[in-house]
Amino acid sequence: MKPETQNQKGNAMKIVRYHQPAAAALAPLYGLAGRNPVVAFEREFDRLFSNAIGEMFTLAPELAANNAGRFAVDLFEDKDNTYVRAELPGVDRKDINVEVVDDYLTISGARKTFGTDGKTSEAVEFSRSITIPEAVQADKIAAAYENGVLTVTLPKREEAKPRKVSVEVK
Amino acid sequence: MSLISTLLPSTRRNEAATDTAPLTPAASPRYEIKENPDAFGLEVWLPGVAKDGLELTLHEGELTIVGRRAWKKPETWTQLYRETPLADFRLTLAHDNTFDAAKVHAELRDGVLRVTLPKAEALKPRKITVA
Repeated sequence: MKPETQNQKGNAMKIVRYHQPAAAALAPLYGLAGRNPVVAFEREFDRLFSNAIGEMFTLAPELAANNAGRFAVDLFEDKDNTYVRAELPGVDRKDINVEVVDDYLTISGARKTFGTDGKTSEAVEFSRSITIPEAVQADKIAAAYENGVLTVTLPKREEAKPRKVSVEVK
Repeated sequence: MSLISTLLPSTRRNEAATDTAPLTPAASPRYEIKENPDAFGLEVWLPGVAKDGLELTLHEGELTIVGRRAWKKPETWTQLYRETPLADFRLTLAHDNTFDAAKVHAELRDGVLRVTLPKAEALKPRKITVA
């Protein structure tokens, strides 16, 4: 479902995010003086919460394990190529699959983790698809893996490249 | 030490960071600590960090790992979408000197740092035969 089609129908539900006015905005003078207990509480609450949430993703191993299949992806372009960088630390090169189907680039694979005895204990699978913004030459795609980062180079098709056309004015 | 810093180690870490570490933005890497009878194993995910950008310091009661990203966006590249953080990695772990600092071994491969911290001889379980 696309938002445009909803708008065209005209009867789509409007979703407006409501912002609770912060106590600091309602009592600006107290806020400046830092004496308002409500403002102080709000700040303390924010601080504790941001810490607690930060901890969840970095420290708790059981929560990190649920997150293991996810990885960060960057998208860049220059005149000739589109580049995709993916952070995949500790993955064997032969366990990474890169596929391009139509406009989608799919990076998938499995990360094997080793137990303390040095033997493979388990494999965590990961997969992610990215929409490629421009048409690519599918047979010239290259991928390199260095320092745990995969870089996929997707050469643009000739017609997708920016072209300089000089028009003669009569 | 207050109850809050006991419950939330991050508050404690911030206190420690203010007096020693320089105030540069840093990302906390994902890490895992394993243990077997002979050693502790530390595994840190440092994607994009090369060997020469890595700094491992064993200080009094603290193990600090700083990883600088080797890759910089080339001038001609235009960023369309970005998820990977730009900040360097920094991880500080408190320890109680129960390992042999002279035998610490570290290996960085494919963006994963593996540190082996052999346990100090005095702490290994010892079987005493009764004469």
